[in-house]
Amino acid sequence: MATMRGSKNIQAKLVLLGDMGTGKTSLVLRFVKGQFYDFQESTIGAAFFTQILSINEATVKFDIWDTAGQERYHSLAPMYYRGAAAAIVVYDITSMDSFERARKWVEELQRQGNPNLVMVLVANKVDLEANRRVETENGELYAHENGLLYIETSAKTAQNVNELFYEIAKRLAKARPTQTPGMKLQNETRERGIRAFCCSGICLAGNSDVLHIHRMIRQLAAFQ
Amino acid sequence: MFGTQARGEVSHEFQPPLMQYWRPSIYTRRANITVKFQDLYGFTVEGNVDDVNVLNEVREKVRQQGRVWWALEANKGANWYLQPQISSLSEGIGVAALKLSALANSITLKKLVRKGIPPVLRPKVWFSVSGAAKKRSTVPETYYNDLIKAVEGKVTPATKQIDHDLPRTFPGHPWFDTEEGCAALRRVLVGYSFRDCHVGYCQGLNYVAALLLLVLKTEEDAFWMLAVLLENVLVNDCYTDNLSGCHVEQRVFKDLLAKKCPRIAAHLEALEFDVSLVATEWFLCLFSKSLPSETTMRVWDVLFYEGAKVLFHVALAIFKMNEEELLMTSQIGDVINILQRSTHHLYDPDDLLTVAFDKIGSMTSTTITKQRKKQEPAVMAELDQRLRRLNSLKMDDKPDSPRE
Repeated sequence: MATMRGSKNIQAKLVLLGDMGTGKTSLVLRFVKGQFYDFQESTIGAAFFTQILSINEATVKFDIWDTAGQERYHSLAPMYYRGAAAAIVVYDITSMDSFERARKWVEELQRQGNPNLVMVLVANKVDLEANRRVETENGELYAHENGLLYIETSAKTAQNVNELFYEIAKRLAKARPTQTPGMKLQNETRERGIRAFCCSGICLAGNSDVLHIHRMIRQLAAFQ
Repeated sequence: MFGTQARGEVSHEFQPPLMQYWRPSIYTRRANITVKFQDLYGFTVEGNVDDVNVLNEVREKVRQQGRVWWALEANKGANWYLQPQISSLSEGIGVAALKLSALANSITLKKLVRKGIPPVLRPKVWFSVSGAAKKRSTVPETYYNDLIKAVEGKVTPATKQIDHDLPRTFPGHPWFDTEEGCAALRRVLVGYSFRDCHVGYCQGLNYVAALLLLVLKTEEDAFWMLAVLLENVLVNDCYTDNLSGCHVEQRVFKDLLAKKCPRIAAHLEALEFDVSLVATEWFLCLFSKSLPSETTMRVWDVLFYEGAKVLFHVALAIFKMNEEELLMTSQIGDVINILQRSTHHLYDPDDLLTVAFDKIGSMTSTTITKQRKKQEPAVMAELDQRLRRLNSLKMDDKPDSPRE
C-alpha cells in the first residue's frame, strides 16, 4: 500500500475483549468489510483480521485479534493480548453484566498488559437505546477514572465505528516516536490528552467535532 | 420434533443439483467466477468452478465408496462392523476363530473408515463405533426423554448462554434457521448441560452438536454422540471451566509439530507465531468451522473410530500441506491467511486424509497419552498462577459471584 511521503508506517496488534455477544466481531467486520449481520457466528478461540488505515500522521496496519467472549475462554486471552499495542474492551449497553465484565478486562489489562497500551472502552449497541441498562455517565466515569478512551458505537448502524479505529490509529501514531527515548514524555502528554478527552465528553460527538477537539488537545499538549 | 419426518430436510438428502452451476459453457470459460451453492449438508458454499468440479468428483467417490460398503454387507452380513471389538473378547475354546474374524474385520473397518463412511450409513456406524450405543444401553431407555422433560423451562447460566448462541449457530443454514431445527439443537445442548454440570455449556459445542444433529437425524442419537465424544473420545476437560484439556492438547500439538514438521515449527517460532492461535478453534470445534462439511465429516468418521489422536493427524496435515508457502511468510497475518484459505478450500477430503495418515507417520494413542501426562503439570501450574493473579485483582474489587 502506498503511503504518503514523510509519514510513518506502523504495524499494530490490536485485541478486542469483552463478554460474549457484546458485538466484538460485528465491530471488526463493520470496520474491515463494512458488513453487518444480525446473527454473527460466535467466535471460538479467536479470529484474525487485518486492516490498513491511513491518517495524516501515519499509515497504520492493524493486526486485529477478535477473541471469544465466554468466561471460560478467559484462560486463552493472554495469548491474544500479549504484545498488543491497543485494546478495545467492549460492553453491550443493554447488559449490566457485560459492563462489569468489561471492568474486569480493564483491570487485568492494566496489571498485565503493556503500560503504553492504548485502551478504549467501547459501549456498543447504542441502536438499542430503548433497552439501555448502562448509562453513558457510568461508562464515561469509569473510563475517566481509569484513563481510558470512551466511545459509544453501533456496529449495526456503523455509528462511531470508523471513528473508534481512527482514534486508536491517531494515538498509536502519537505514541510511537521515531526513537525510544522521549517515549515517556509523549506518554505523559498522551495521558493528559486522554483525560481532557474524557472530561470534554466528546465521546458522543460526531467525527468532525472529534477531530476539532483533538486538534485543540494537541495544541494544549504542545503548550505544556 | 426432529424425527423421521424431518429426514427429507436434512443431511445427505439435500441433493442440490451441482451440475447446473457449471454445465453452462459460460462458467467453464470463466473459471474465476464465484458460484454459490448448497453442499451435501445444506451449507452455502462459495467457490469457483474448480471447487464445484472437485465437489462433483467427491460425490462420485462417495458413491463408489458406498458400493464397497454394500458389497461388504452382502458378503459379511448387514451389521458386520458391529461385531465385538477384539479387546472385548474373552479367552476360551472356540473364541480363536471368532477372534481372527474380528481382527480381520477391524483391519478392514479401519481402512474403510479412513476412506469414508457413506453418508447414509454414517448415523448407524458412528453410533456403533464411537461407543455411543454402548453408553445409551447402560441407562433406561427413557433417559433422554426424561431428562428433557425434567429440565424444560429451567433457567441456568448455561441455558442463557445457549439461548444466546442458538441463532448464531450456522446462521443461514436452512434447517437451523427453522424453529424446529433451533429447538432440537437447544434440547440437545440444554440436556447435556444438565447431564454434566462441569461442562455445562461451552461455546464451540453448539457447532459440534449442530453437525451431529444434521448427520444423526434424531436428537436423542445426537445427544448420545455428544456425550460419548466429551466423555470418552476426547481428552478430559476440553470444554470445562478453564479449558485445561484444550490447553494440554495445544501443548502436545506444538511438540508434535516440532517433531513432525521441524522446518515449519522453527519458522513459525522465529515469527513468534504460536500455533494454538489457529489450532484452538480446530480442536474445540473439531474442524467444523474451518473445513467444508463433507471433509469435516470424513475427519469425524476417523475420529469416532480411532480416537482423539486423529485431531493431531489432521492439524499436522494442514500445516504439512502448506509447508512451502508457510516457509515463505514473514508476517503472522500471512500465516493465518494461508491456513484459512487452505482449510476453506479442502473440498476433497482425500487430499487431507492422505497426508494426515500416510505422510505424517504413525502416532500411537499410548505415545500421545504419555505426552499429555507430561504437559499436564505445566498447564495446571500456569492456569493456577493465572487464577491467583486474577484473584489478587479481585481483592481490590467487591466480591463477585462466578458468572458461569
